[in-house]
Amino acid sequence: MKIFNRSQPNMNPYLFKVIKTLSLILITLCISYSLGVSNEHESKSNNSTQTEHGNESKKSFDVSELLFHHVLESHDWHILDIPAAEDGHYTPISIPLPWIVYSSEKGLDFFMLSGHGHHELDESAKQKGYTIVHKGKSEKIKLLSDPENGFIIDFSPSKTVIQMLIIGLIMVLVFRSVAKGYAENRGAAPKGVQSLFEPIIVFIRDEVAKPNLHGKHDRFMPYLLTLFFFIWFSNIFGMLPINSNIMGNISITFTLALLTLIITNFNGTASYWGHIFWFPNVPLPVKLLMIPVELVGIVSKPFALMVRLFANIAAGHFMILALISLIFLLGKGGQSVGGALGIMPLSFAFTLFIMTLEVLVGIIQAYVFTLLTCVFVGMALESHDHSHEHEAHAH
Amino acid sequence: MFLEISGSIGHMGAGIGAGLVAMGAGMGIGRLAGSAVESMARQPAATNDIRGSMILTAAFIEGVALFGEVICLLISFTA
Repeated sequence: MKIFNRSQPNMNPYLFKVIKTLSLILITLCISYSLGVSNEHESKSNNSTQTEHGNESKKSFDVSELLFHHVLESHDWHILDIPAAEDGHYTPISIPLPWIVYSSEKGLDFFMLSGHGHHELDESAKQKGYTIVHKGKSEKIKLLSDPENGFIIDFSPSKTVIQMLIIGLIMVLVFRSVAKGYAENRGAAPKGVQSLFEPIIVFIRDEVAKPNLHGKHDRFMPYLLTLFFFIWFSNIFGMLPINSNIMGNISITFTLALLTLIITNFNGTASYWGHIFWFPNVPLPVKLLMIPVELVGIVSKPFALMVRLFANIAAGHFMILALISLIFLLGKGGQSVGGALGIMPLSFAFTLFIMTLEVLVGIIQAYVFTLLTCVFVGMALESHDHSHEHEAHAH
Repeated sequence: MFLEISGSIGHMGAGIGAGLVAMGAGMGIGRLAGSAVESMARQPAATNDIRGSMILTAAFIEGVALFGEVICLLISFTA
């Protein structure tokens, strides 16, 4: 972690400015987050009073539902809710995402569904000849006619997919400029956005890849850099309002871990597989005992990667949302203004702290994921020549 | 009461479990950081190597702790 302790004594006014700007940004983020939560909460309690008219006075605030709404996938990009003037009705503002469906009856079909809520969506889908099955919180599209041996494949992008594409686009733009800067300023000091990213790229190469990959790091650098910056960018974007956090989605981290698994095993040397299926220099019963243990080890290492990244990011978001939810819990849904105002400074201070921590966790988790990928691939690349020599001597 | 306390004994188990996991992870990372800082003070030349292996080991401890926390979270949502 060399880049973090390059402190210079004459940097103080500059550092002060940076800290000021950063804290301003963080406070703005906190406020926008809490506004988003309040909007969702109000629309939710509004819904519950619509369904159960007799119980209007008791507006319960469901924290776990709010958490899930924030973290889970959805088929529209929910931004905020706008209160209407007359009956306390809230209209959500959200961007509907396209449906791309391949079915046996209609072939490839591309359409948009309009409307909010289950009912309006269903109506809109029926006009197109489809029906949407809601199961828990997930939506599944089916053909309306429902033929005997018909099939339907759903390719439609969800919020996470769109967010991932946006991050990919931004990364392409940023790193094209970095690469151009590197080509233009060859031998000179870096300029512009290149000055930010070049030290990080060099750090990944020299401190992460080189010590672990036994001189073969050049082959893996493109993947490792993509991995690091994709995770880091996603974590940063997950902290911004409107954007969704994609590393808090276990499917994404599963895919990244699967890539690590594939790269590790496809680069495995004879010695690597030898250590798995026929552990050298141990008696026969232990050799047999080691086979299942090593086989479990192949899968458990990427599995730990998957859960670590997912749980870190998801837990950070849960914590931020729970701290902001405290305002609404103690405010009792707008009935107790004193309670809400009383907890607000505390809630804001803690949220600010957790958000700062999350910015740090975002880069540390990207670093750890890249580092562990390097370590695992390095373990597969390693050839234990010494153990074979021992065997030769024993023979 | 500020917060209405309701739920099953499963919720209690999830809460206690989360606390135990936090204790275990805290002890583990505390010991790790303690010895790492001590060895950095003894041998400042090796600071970078020690820091690298400290972060790696902390990631392993944290991984195990997060397994536990995720399970506790799942219990608290399903119980």
